[in-house]
Amino acid sequence: MTRLNTNQWLALVFAVLAVGYIAMAWQIPTFPLPRPVDSDLFPKVLGFSLLILSVFLFFEKPTPIAGADEVDEEAQHGPLLLTPWARVIVTSLAIAAYALLLVPLGFVLASTLLCVGLTAYYGYRRHGVNLATSLGVVLALYLTMTKVMDVYLPTGLLPF
Amino acid sequence: MDAFNNLMYGFGIALEPINIAYVFAGVFAGTIIGMLPGLGPISALALMIPITFAMEPSSGLILMAGVYYGAIFGGSTSSILLNAPGVAGTVATSFDGYPMAKKGLAGKALAIAAYSSFVGGTVSVIFLMLVAPLLSKVAVSFGPSEYFALMVLGLTAVVSLSDKSLIKGLIAAVVGVIISIVGIDMQTGTERFTFGSVQLLDGIDFLVVALGIFALAEVFYMLLRGGGGKEAPRNAIGSLKLTRSEVKEIAGPVGRSSVLGFFTGVLPGAGATIGSFLGYSMEKRIAKDGDTFGQGNIKGVAAPEAANNAACTGSFVPLLTLGVPGSGTTAVLLGALLVMGVNPGPMMLTERPDVFWGVVASMYIGNIFLLVLNLPLIPLIAKILDLPKPLLLSLILIFCMIGVYGMSFSVFDLLLLLGFGLVGLGMRLFGFPAAPLILALILGNIMEESLRRALQISGGDWMTFIDKPISLGLLVVALLSLGLPLLKKRRKKIPPDVAV
Repeated sequence: MTRLNTNQWLALVFAVLAVGYIAMAWQIPTFPLPRPVDSDLFPKVLGFSLLILSVFLFFEKPTPIAGADEVDEEAQHGPLLLTPWARVIVTSLAIAAYALLLVPLGFVLASTLLCVGLTAYYGYRRHGVNLATSLGVVLALYLTMTKVMDVYLPTGLLPF
Repeated sequence: MDAFNNLMYGFGIALEPINIAYVFAGVFAGTIIGMLPGLGPISALALMIPITFAMEPSSGLILMAGVYYGAIFGGSTSSILLNAPGVAGTVATSFDGYPMAKKGLAGKALAIAAYSSFVGGTVSVIFLMLVAPLLSKVAVSFGPSEYFALMVLGLTAVVSLSDKSLIKGLIAAVVGVIISIVGIDMQTGTERFTFGSVQLLDGIDFLVVALGIFALAEVFYMLLRGGGGKEAPRNAIGSLKLTRSEVKEIAGPVGRSSVLGFFTGVLPGAGATIGSFLGYSMEKRIAKDGDTFGQGNIKGVAAPEAANNAACTGSFVPLLTLGVPGSGTTAVLLGALLVMGVNPGPMMLTERPDVFWGVVASMYIGNIFLLVLNLPLIPLIAKILDLPKPLLLSLILIFCMIGVYGMSFSVFDLLLLLGFGLVGLGMRLFGFPAAPLILALILGNIMEESLRRALQISGGDWMTFIDKPISLGLLVVALLSLGLPLLKKRRKKIPPDVAV
């Protein structure tokens, strides 16, 4: 059996998504008053367009993507937690944790922790500079948003 | 005379002390953000949107216009100093700017970039002033069919001009429209694709998508390429002064490229990138010393710089007069305007002359700020490039977070931001262009509304799009714009002797 290329894999994913989308578009309730165009028309057109485009993509020859080969080779052979993909995963988890802890910890604390933690994780070793810059920027942002622009940001554990 | 009076009215608004401060802040912030490799005007504008929420629309747009100009100029700075263009529109500048920097003439290259940007920007603002009112008079007669066709053309033009696959560009555009229609249908009140989630009833905010797809995805991409960063060595900046003969030498290229750039910018989808490349190649072709282009020829810096700034102003024409952005960047600007409660379009000139003429006047002022304040500050601003990359990446993350949370106060939106960041990374890795997605996201709702209104008026007859000459013409051009890249591809495949 011949192996599928990247475009063909992507085309299959889009085709499945398009079919799911079309199925959902068919379940959009009809408006009680008769109209020439209802809420479901546009999604149906979009679903079929995506399906047709995924067929075209299936037959399109994959071309090399500029910059795709620029993955940090050196880091790939380093410790598992510092490989390029591990960096993306750890950063994603840190963002998710930040989103969940933002309200209980407060903006200043959560943002400083995220900034200092990730900077250190990315390999910056001057921890004093890291803490001072992160805290300075976060505080400046916090004060600008809350005092100048009257935007509420959660205070959390801190009293201000 | 009318244009002059209106411009004076605009200056009255733009010269209010608070607006001058905003222009300066915008130009300054834009320069810094645009200078950071990877972060272009789209990211810069998206990052600034939360700040404009509480502002008067005219002030908000004045700030954004400053950011846009600044980001383009900032992109030139990193092109010249690091050979790392912050934005695609300044790639052509690096061809001769970086060789100049390597010869110790970085200051001269930066000065040429600033002067040329100033002239390009100023010449094109005059054109904008003259062309925009005329175009909006024509656009007043546009009905929903014409608008729908115009938006289709805007989308296809952006798709066809992206250097990646046409199919992938179209898929990105369709996905953008799919995202835009999530939430309650404003015409019938029907819920669509909310999966029962209360947070999705209002739809997905474009800022979440824009910051995710551009800024956050860029962070992820930089992490993949090595977060620790191997910084390129930077040469000394040197003198910023130009001799009289140098000024004389660049005068012609700057004048020609300014006009060319403006009209390229007006075309949907073309914008600064194509404008700058056209300006560069035109000068290379007509210059007597064309063979020295690429080795540090000052005309090779002047032409693309004048053209890209002029194109930026040109791209405001369809946005302000038709309400249809012709590029990803102006799409983000449109989103910002809608958030501020301003609907750009043919009526804007009569309904919100303060916004329109205030922005036009602020463009003049922004250009002067770029020249008078930014240029001497460049050696200082360039120190931002020395900021350690790990710290820079974390700070960009924080800016994204505060941008989204400060607007929606929703933890759900932060998680959506993460999702779109990962989608954006996937798009970069698999070669899907991001600009069509963001443009489609902004246009999706308006497109659907126009389509439905047109069909409502015609009683469901689809021929309404073909019966009207303007909409038919626009749709034909849209089809042709998709055909062009295919034709180019075919020509590439045919051996040169056969092609002749």
